[in-house]
Amino acid sequence: MSTYATPGAGPVVHDPATLPADDNVNAYTFCVELKGSQWFLQKGKMIAYYGSIDFNGIGHGPLDRLVRTSFHSPLHASDWVVAEGSGKMLLADRAFDVNSFDLDDGNLTIRSGNLLAFQPSLALKQSIVPGFLTLIGTGKFVAASNGPVVFMEPPIRVDPQALVGWADCPSPCHHYDHGYMTGVLGGLRALTGIGGASGEEHQFEFAGAGTVLLQSTEQLMAEQAVGALPQQAGVPGGGTSGGHGSQAGTPRLPGQLGDLQRRFGL
Amino acid sequence: MPFREINSKMVEATVAPGTRLFSQRGAMLAYRGEVSFTPNLQGGQGGIMSMIGRRVANEDTPLMTVEGSGTVLFGHGGHHVQVINLSGDTLYVEADRLLAFEGTLRQGTMFLGSQGGVMGMVRGQVTGQGLFTTTLQGHGAVAVMAHGGVFEVPITPQRPVHVDPQAYVAHHGDVRNKLSTALGWRDMVGRGSGEAFQLELSGNGAVYVQASEEKL
Repeated sequence: MSTYATPGAGPVVHDPATLPADDNVNAYTFCVELKGSQWFLQKGKMIAYYGSIDFNGIGHGPLDRLVRTSFHSPLHASDWVVAEGSGKMLLADRAFDVNSFDLDDGNLTIRSGNLLAFQPSLALKQSIVPGFLTLIGTGKFVAASNGPVVFMEPPIRVDPQALVGWADCPSPCHHYDHGYMTGVLGGLRALTGIGGASGEEHQFEFAGAGTVLLQSTEQLMAEQAVGALPQQAGVPGGGTSGGHGSQAGTPRLPGQLGDLQRRFGL
Repeated sequence: MPFREINSKMVEATVAPGTRLFSQRGAMLAYRGEVSFTPNLQGGQGGIMSMIGRRVANEDTPLMTVEGSGTVLFGHGGHHVQVINLSGDTLYVEADRLLAFEGTLRQGTMFLGSQGGVMGMVRGQVTGQGLFTTTLQGHGAVAVMAHGGVFEVPITPQRPVHVDPQAYVAHHGDVRNKLSTALGWRDMVGRGSGEAFQLELSGNGAVYVQASEEKL
């Protein structure tokens, strides 16, 4: 996919009339058309614009209503900018692949660092999975990924670093593969570390109806703050959990020596 | 064919019972079905002696065995992936460029000095291959990683191909390669063109070149 129509013809020169409306200019740039409407975008992702567009940090007085209707977690609203006016605006993020997705009365959960911009008709909420955001409603949003995004149908198991997001609730859960660590030799391997690990012991498993979005590599995008979680019992990742719940640290593999406290059930 | 290119950076491999794949550890992106990933102590095929050979030759990339039935997606580090199908001939490639390959291929290590003597060893140093390189022989498919896109340049007896050593990825077929130098006094005084060393490949086969001079 080259921006050069024919070899030797030089790059395609765009002007306001030829820039696409709400579509990709190339794999790395997305063009948004504003006609008196508004878009939310992450700070610093606008690279150029035509026309008269105002960029306002959220928290300005007139935008309070907007924040109330589109941001259901005002705690992280300060990381977002509202573009308002008419014209065309180009979005890009460090030469990562950029894609737009349409939601039609749907829901989609996405890794916080991957979301670039979205229409205010969508509601942005914190996911109960820490580090993820959920978009609900009808509208368009723009996401960045390292390499093209691939859509897969569940059931599928995904490397945690390759996951971009999922749509329509295919119930994400953890899955552990350590079949090779069972038996005498496997136990020896687990205890001594000789033989190494395959690096694929842990996946996210998706089951049910929906779509899973993968990026083509295992390089993560830098995570964006999603805002503080309410310090409440029963909130994953936030605050105190009741009773025995918080087993801090990494999950345990079979064959690994347990802590003394665990042995004695303390 | 077990490998299907999904996009320029991702391949889908089909695993069936009774067959197995080798892949670089940590390169699995997602899978469907019942597939197991076992770290491979020997770093590939063969017995203990092959393992020692690879360790000595510094061609011991951590590999894992992929078995079961299902489909697996592979990709690694944002590198571009090229699938190369081998039908009986030998592919010469650096071990750390291997993303995945079929278990039907025979894996070996080759001393570069055996191809061109001392110049072969110098060539290995210049291309960053070191003194040894990995060979894969037989019938099957290999997924090779490269920085930037990969293109295949055919080599015919009449038309030898010159490649920048840093852009060289792999080659297969009956190919003689030698390092051609164009060192002059300009290079000695630091006014060289930067293209003093080139790989000259001649014979019958193909060479894979990446669109970048960056190593993996």
